[in-house]
Amino acid sequence: MQAVYLLLGKRNCFHKLTLILIYILQLWEHYGYCSQKQSLFRHLLELLKRTAVHGESNSVLIVGPRGAGKTMLLKCVLRDLLEEKEAQKNLLQVHLNGLLQTDDRIALKEITRQLHLENVVGDKVFGSFAENLAFLLEALKKGDRSSSRPVLFVLDEFDLFAHHKNQTLLYNLFDVSQSAQAPIAVVGVTCRLDVLELLEKRVKSRFSHRQIHLLSNLTFTEYLERVQTQLCLPDDFPDSKFAQDWNDSIQTLCEDKSVEEVLQRHFNSSKDFRSMHMLLMLCLSRVSVAKPAIKPADLLEASRLCFADAKANMLHGLSILELCLIIAMKHLNDVYEGEPFNLQMVHNEFKKFLQRKSNSMYNFDQPVIMKAFEHLQQLELIRPADGSSAKTQREYQLMRLMLDHSQIMEALQKYPQCPTDIKQWAMSAFG
Amino acid sequence: MNQSGAESFLGLCLSSLSISVEGLPRTTVISTGQHILIEGEDEDNPYVARVIRLFGDESGKQKKAVVQWFVRVSEVPPSKLKLLGREPHPQEIFYYQGRSCDDEVNAESILRPVQVIVGPLGVQTDLTALCQTSTTHTVTSAEAGLDSDDEVVMKKSRHAAAGSRTPRSKQKSRSSTRTPRKTPNKKVKVQTDAFLRWSAPVVSEISLPVSSLCEQVAPGTPRTPRHATPSIPSRSLPARQPANVLEEARTRLHVSSVPESLPCREQEFQDIYSFVESKIIDGTGGCMYISGVPGTGKTATVHEVMRCLQHAADVDEIPPFHFIEINGMKMTDPHQAYVQILQKLTGQKATADHAAALLEKRFSNAAPRKESTVLLVDELDLLWTRKQNVMYNLFDWPTRRHARLVVLTIANTMDLPERIMINRVASRLGLTRMSFQPYSFKQLQQIITSRLNKVKAFEEDALQLVSRKVAALSGDARRCLDICRRATEICEHSSADPSATGLVGMSHVMEALNEMFSSAYITAIKCASLQEQLFLRAVIAEFRRLGLEEATFQQVFVQHQALCRVEGLQPISVSEGLAVCQRLGACRLLLLEPSRLGVLQRIRLNVSQDDVLYALKAD
Repeated sequence: MQAVYLLLGKRNCFHKLTLILIYILQLWEHYGYCSQKQSLFRHLLELLKRTAVHGESNSVLIVGPRGAGKTMLLKCVLRDLLEEKEAQKNLLQVHLNGLLQTDDRIALKEITRQLHLENVVGDKVFGSFAENLAFLLEALKKGDRSSSRPVLFVLDEFDLFAHHKNQTLLYNLFDVSQSAQAPIAVVGVTCRLDVLELLEKRVKSRFSHRQIHLLSNLTFTEYLERVQTQLCLPDDFPDSKFAQDWNDSIQTLCEDKSVEEVLQRHFNSSKDFRSMHMLLMLCLSRVSVAKPAIKPADLLEASRLCFADAKANMLHGLSILELCLIIAMKHLNDVYEGEPFNLQMVHNEFKKFLQRKSNSMYNFDQPVIMKAFEHLQQLELIRPADGSSAKTQREYQLMRLMLDHSQIMEALQKYPQCPTDIKQWAMSAFG
Repeated sequence: MNQSGAESFLGLCLSSLSISVEGLPRTTVISTGQHILIEGEDEDNPYVARVIRLFGDESGKQKKAVVQWFVRVSEVPPSKLKLLGREPHPQEIFYYQGRSCDDEVNAESILRPVQVIVGPLGVQTDLTALCQTSTTHTVTSAEAGLDSDDEVVMKKSRHAAAGSRTPRSKQKSRSSTRTPRKTPNKKVKVQTDAFLRWSAPVVSEISLPVSSLCEQVAPGTPRTPRHATPSIPSRSLPARQPANVLEEARTRLHVSSVPESLPCREQEFQDIYSFVESKIIDGTGGCMYISGVPGTGKTATVHEVMRCLQHAADVDEIPPFHFIEINGMKMTDPHQAYVQILQKLTGQKATADHAAALLEKRFSNAAPRKESTVLLVDELDLLWTRKQNVMYNLFDWPTRRHARLVVLTIANTMDLPERIMINRVASRLGLTRMSFQPYSFKQLQQIITSRLNKVKAFEEDALQLVSRKVAALSGDARRCLDICRRATEICEHSSADPSATGLVGMSHVMEALNEMFSSAYITAIKCASLQEQLFLRAVIAEFRRLGLEEATFQQVFVQHQALCRVEGLQPISVSEGLAVCQRLGACRLLLLEPSRLGVLQRIRLNVSQDDVLYALKAD
């Protein structure tokens, strides 16, 4: 990478920006594990090491909310594990994901493929579902603790595997891990705290009940430090003077009062590292050749983008007529306390508003209103109420509004050139 | 095949063919009747054949040869080799009469001619290409002691080859992808020279330059694995052995380690043993139903019984018998049970329907000298089908006069026959039932002690705590062993401080128990972000207001906004509120309707309100 920098970086500032991005993203990817998670890290590492080195079968679940670093923990452990020669030479790995392997048939093919068993040619796995299962079980059964290579099964989105028919795959994996066959380690990764309740009792009995709960009790100061370290350029950055300037600017950025406020707000909302990265990425993307530093204003802007309400933004793109219909629906919701409505009711409500006005600039025909109504449905701003059959005429089909009042009011404030009378109508207590 | 046959008639017949061996200045000439080596999968052991006819197609570009194949000793499956009745010479080849191979080969796949010496018994070839005289010497000395006649060998070898393999079809696809090879080493050169002397005179030469072969390179189709052996590769470095007392204890406590004896199941063992033994001795059949919650040693006990019976059969105390085992969980469909039973009984492969028919025939017909069969059916409840014909057959076969089948079935629930089986199935299962009670704390303690077998790693109190705790919860021996194993790990970590005795004590066991049995809900709430905690409070507030345990997001959100104002926080937008709600739903602190309902989705708590309040107050 240094060579790349020397080739391009000095001549063209643009490449320097790319390089900053590369370095920082690398930092995010290879971020070492925080010290407070050390005990969990050691637990998992030793567990897997025993499988790799001693051939002891194990099973473990890593549980924690989304973005808490479950996969990162596993990745760091595997990286450390594979540095050891004894483990690296022996360990076979199988990675499955509940979102990809949606049933046991697919999962079995994938396992066979990743293990390169003998019924695999190229990328194809031969045999029926039943044959594949029998083949895999036979293969695992033939192995034994001391002579076969240990296999590591990583099941991402573990809870989804529990929905497979009869939980055949889980039963068999756990059964192998509890009997004298080829040594395997089953590592499940999930965000569901109630995952054990999903397992059938005979499957549950075979699971070792080791759970690693990954919950972050991060404080705000730690969060702030983390933001700073994640934005700083590492020491091996080719242009040390630039790195120094950059790091100083990050330092001042993090000490800024308004920045701290924004980060506090993010921290309050979620401790998830992924959402933090999202925010920082938006900031980084605003760095340019003319302005090679992150300014507090960038962070404020990024935060505004992150917190923007999606539905309210959609309302800005509606026509005046569609907006009027939404307001009419809001009034109907107020009057009938959230009961569903149909097109006729909305149209009546709208007509009442028009009658109070002398000018008729919003006078539309029924078909036009119908079209607008359908458009709203397509945008999923309204949706049919449950139980209303599709057979009823479209004018009388019962609908519900998918917006909160606060969203409508917010959108009206920002709507470009919104007529005053419509604004007033929306604010008035009664239609 | 037909097409190529037709081509061969159209083609120009040749009486001899010359090929060039790479690295040699001269071309080698091959004529009809000569033995040749043909390129195969194994570089060191090419195929052997005799040329019957040589021809070229109309265009004259493609030269082909019709050959008679021979098989090497290594290509004959070991089971067929036994039929030979003598030790074959490693370089011996056999006449091949299988119909599965194409007997037409492309000229470019021919490597070189080879000398074959017809011994007193069969056809033999020198393949290692040492000098000619020494080869002859080896062969004659190898053949000296053999006494079976030629005819028999030929017949047997034909038999052996017929069902065993399809090497030529493989070879064919391979030869088409062949690339020109590197210069052969010196040894080959010497050898080819030697054979040149031996070859027939040249009549008409058609030289084929090697480079032209590249034009015919076509992508080969991968082979279908027919005889794939299921296996996990073996490790390059041997597994490390346990080094200290704790590691030793951990190995012994692993559920997978087979214990020397099964304590606390003596009565059950005796019952099953006498049941199966009497059936085997009488040559009759019968069924037994064994039930018990998971981890009470059902399968282990049956396996132990079978080990003992097998031992008894080995020393001729009881007649020999077959033991086969199927597991409802280890098959994809109940009807696969037939396939697995048939395969384990006879090694045949068949479809489910065919297998059922074969088994039916096997168990209903009388046969001389028939052995008893003991069939263990684990996880019986998984074999349930709507018509219950799998279960029906399994329990019906033992009642046949000639079946000599003993069926042992295992499931978790005691009243399974009454609950899921229709009358005619339940009636055939009979009333021989046994139920395994969950282990009591004393039994669990005994199990651990017997497993540890004088390895001193645990304090007495610690063992008692584990067994009492597990006995109170489930009586599952697996759980008990897992907790002990975890406790040894915790002990190992804490052994750094000097006060530790090196034994697993109460504190270690307590820690392991806490890890395994405590629920994480409360810690999860404590670790949630501020907005998430506020949202949970809003949910409870809304539940109290409504007097219901369910509310829509919209309703909760109003409460949430109010709480934000009370706490002096900036109110959040609806999108953000929904995100907070989804995060809580993902880890199942809340139960949610599908998220496409947006603000209308209904929310429930998955934890009790008291737990939430307790967790939030503790901060």
